[in-house]
Amino acid sequence: MARAIYVTACALGALVLATVATGAASETGVTSSQVVIGGTVPLSGNASAYQSVAKGAAAYFRYVNAHGGVNKRKIKYIYKDDGYNPANTIDKTRELVQQDKVFAIFNSLGTEHNLAIRGYLNALKIPQLFVASGATTFGRDYKQFPWTIGYQPNYRAEGTIYGRYVAKTNPKARIAVLYQNDDFGKDLLKGLQIGLGKKAKQIVAKQSYDVTDSNVKPQISKLKSKKANTLMLFSTPQATIGAYFAAYSIKWRPKVYVNAVSSASNILGLATAGSSKKETEGSVSIVFLKDPTDPRWRRDPGSKLYRSIMKKFKGGNPNDVYAVYGMSAAHTFVAALRKAGKNPTRASIMKAATSLNVKNDPFLLPGMAVHTSKTDHFPLDQAKLQRYHNGHWVSFGGLFRVR
Amino acid sequence: MGRRALGVAVWVVLVALVLLAYAFAPRFVSDFHSRDLAEAGMFFIAIVGLNLLTGYTGQISLGHGALMAIGGYTTAWLMVHEHWRDVWTIPLAGLAAGIVGFLIGLPALRLSGLYLALATFAFAVAMPSLLRKFSGITGGGQGLRPIEEAPLQITGLSGTVTIFGHSMTQNHFLYYLSWGIGLIGFVIAWLLVRSRVGRTFRALRDSEVAASSAGINLARAKTLAFAISGVYAGVAGALVATMDQIVNPLSFTFLLSIVLIVGAVVGGLGSLPGMVVGAFFVEYLPDLSTHVSTKPGVPDFVYGAAIIVVMILLPTGAGGLLRRLARPLTTRLYLRP
Amino acid sequence: MLFAFDWTQLAQQIVIGLASGGVWATLAVALVLIYRSTGVINFAQGEMAMFSTFIAWSLVHHGFSYWGAFFLTIAISFAGGIAVERAVIRPVERAPVLTVVIVTLGLFFVVNGAARWIWSPETRSLPNAFSTRPITVAGVAFSIQDLGTIAVSLGAVALLWGFFQFTKLGLASRAAALNPEASRLVGVRVSWMLALGWGLAAAMGAVSGMLTAPALASFDQNLMQPVLLYAFAGAVLGGLDSPLGAVVGSLLLGVLVSLLGTYVDWIGSELRLPVALAVILGVLLVRPAGLFGTPQERRV
Repeated sequence: MARAIYVTACALGALVLATVATGAASETGVTSSQVVIGGTVPLSGNASAYQSVAKGAAAYFRYVNAHGGVNKRKIKYIYKDDGYNPANTIDKTRELVQQDKVFAIFNSLGTEHNLAIRGYLNALKIPQLFVASGATTFGRDYKQFPWTIGYQPNYRAEGTIYGRYVAKTNPKARIAVLYQNDDFGKDLLKGLQIGLGKKAKQIVAKQSYDVTDSNVKPQISKLKSKKANTLMLFSTPQATIGAYFAAYSIKWRPKVYVNAVSSASNILGLATAGSSKKETEGSVSIVFLKDPTDPRWRRDPGSKLYRSIMKKFKGGNPNDVYAVYGMSAAHTFVAALRKAGKNPTRASIMKAATSLNVKNDPFLLPGMAVHTSKTDHFPLDQAKLQRYHNGHWVSFGGLFRVR
Repeated sequence: MGRRALGVAVWVVLVALVLLAYAFAPRFVSDFHSRDLAEAGMFFIAIVGLNLLTGYTGQISLGHGALMAIGGYTTAWLMVHEHWRDVWTIPLAGLAAGIVGFLIGLPALRLSGLYLALATFAFAVAMPSLLRKFSGITGGGQGLRPIEEAPLQITGLSGTVTIFGHSMTQNHFLYYLSWGIGLIGFVIAWLLVRSRVGRTFRALRDSEVAASSAGINLARAKTLAFAISGVYAGVAGALVATMDQIVNPLSFTFLLSIVLIVGAVVGGLGSLPGMVVGAFFVEYLPDLSTHVSTKPGVPDFVYGAAIIVVMILLPTGAGGLLRRLARPLTTRLYLRP
Repeated sequence: MLFAFDWTQLAQQIVIGLASGGVWATLAVALVLIYRSTGVINFAQGEMAMFSTFIAWSLVHHGFSYWGAFFLTIAISFAGGIAVERAVIRPVERAPVLTVVIVTLGLFFVVNGAARWIWSPETRSLPNAFSTRPITVAGVAFSIQDLGTIAVSLGAVALLWGFFQFTKLGLASRAAALNPEASRLVGVRVSWMLALGWGLAAAMGAVSGMLTAPALASFDQNLMQPVLLYAFAGAVLGGLDSPLGAVVGSLLLGVLVSLLGTYVDWIGSELRLPVALAVILGVLLVRPAGLFGTPQERRV
């Protein structure tokens, strides 16, 4: 029923579009010399640290433009401030669509924020490309929302990996979970339960915290009291550092699994400084980007390219892993645009975005591919496990698929 | 007699100008910008309501954003679960927030001044966590999304709206809707502050002790002010849901409550026409701030600095300025703006 | 069920609650200072404290020892507090209370924006003044840092109390707050006394920020926002015009929040702030002036 209603709405939207975009030859936002795309990020307010994602992407587009653009078209990337408020995301996205006449929405940031605009963009058949959120719905619900595609490994899949890994390597583990009380934390938790399968009973305690209050000492103390020996940190960087510190201060040394949002080398470095070397030693996480603060990549050509682009094209702080993420998303967009033909249309870029097989993304781990298909709207679905040892992440095992 | 006639004439002209402005404003701005105007209208409604409470009754509320959340969620819930058309939910949304406003008014009987401000602020702070917690009703962190779950209940999803054979774009429709309600709300507020109830409110503001010794029922007056003010906030919240076509806890943080009180004070407490200025101030200031620079921190800095500068230059808000400007006219014509 | 009760866990949660309450207390005292001298709630107090913390961070990074940076930051913040009062509060001194509150809200954004502007928005850490090494007594773990935090809070409040009780300046500023007109007649420069209040509050805030950052092990520009909310609550609980009340209120609140989050499963940890706020509202309904506050007289 809901789907039927939805289809009707899409049809109505299509009518609008047909009246707006007359003269089929040129597509909205595409001229002979440029392609205009846009997105939203928080430039103001509490979450403004995330703006590095857009700045990294913008730097990469400037780099591409300096090298001739794509099919002689320069990419104009407009990112607007939503202050991390979904109501503003809607306004700014409408502004991008109606005023700036963008070709597509690219890499807008935040789960709730992308959910807020998904219905609107799909009704108008405007591509919502490479959503900067790991919520599963953006890759999974492509039948209902064919104009939306995710980007990073999704949180549920990540949780599943930890679940499987624990089930395999430590079948007697008593697991404690600290999770943020939103979709991000809950998706990871759900994934963990899926990965553990029959062993899900081994989750002996779970505690949530609210985004606005990252003091997690009471939660960690309660988790310890349930005699857990394994701790899942499904939390953002500050709460993660706080959790290590809290565990240290009550003499608890569980085996820690830390989610990818919070596992950048500098974060673990701060966590180590706040607690002790022994507290962070042996922590496990997944990795898919080349972390710029990780000495492993100091000589890596991809990482060097990243640093030179950040410097030359003013991408901001080069030690910010969010910027690498943005750059990788931008790289994927450029690949899709190349593939979308000489005269790209919204339909053709969507088709290109859903038939990608990019193997040369210099910002991803070696060997990783950006792969999509009509039924696979998860561009990044590979990762490696890594272990924190002697103050460094060391990856182990091969690449595997996270679905 | 001549002066009286002149006074009436001025009134007629004023009302005619306002109606003309209302009818033709969209012609002078692009379709897209009439949406911004619609949002300003939404803020207008909320801060007129807040002004009734804080400006006329003297009860400081820093929690009106939470009352807007009640209205917004009522609208979204009725659309998604009861398949109500968006515009028909507005009265019920106002009613729901009015009831909650009444309930907040109860503890207000015991609290005064800044204690009440902090108590209402606490309500605003708690609202997003509560919305996340009761996910069965509110959809949790993802909120409710009529655009995905009940698109047929949205007026003008196809881009145009036809009323009585007259067709207009969705953005124009939203503009007429929110400022139409805004004008009605304004007139009601205007009549209210001039009625016996309004005099009760003002007596309460000026001195509670004097008011109660004059036989005014403090409890009834305070809770009534909270309830009426809540209705306005709820209607504004319903308009948010109608415009955004989604509701989400992140859209109703304490910052919204702060925006509302800033709007009311900049507009000028105790002045109804000033609220127009307040509404435009809070609607356009964030965008103007990001236009200065998008460097981290700069938009917030400019935003805050603008608020401070306005408050220093106009400590009694735009309303105070309007009153001063209009004084020569009003004293001559025996009018009060 | 009762015999299986985990008493160690209860004690541990109380210790954790006292430690966080101790951190909130200093900011709560700063709020009280300004409320007492000007009758206004300073919404920018937390952001000013955060800004001070960043100053301390810069000093440490320029080679200062922790304690050197600590005291220098307090001094800078004191001067900064006075400067802020002169620049933006004095012009609205005679305006309605709500106007002043709005100015402090504007200040909230200004200070927060300035901190993001000067120091980029990324996570960083401030070294610890005290050892964080856990000590266990009867199964309950705590650290010198926890004790040090509470000691510094209480010490700062004691200093303030001494200042107001025994120094000429302190007496003058109390007089100015209680009865401005009469004070003016006997030669107290009332306006400067208000500035002094802001300076002292900013200094207290600096202490609070420098204690909070190590207690969370990392910080960024959002450091003090949750702390401000708890400090509001603590100050209201204790009575907005009583510094001692602010300390006791914050400690009580710390324990309350910690226990509510732990033992009432339905609340869990995510609702502990709203529930704590509701409890405080309950207290206020019984005692509208808070636990230690002076009941307001009603003027006819």
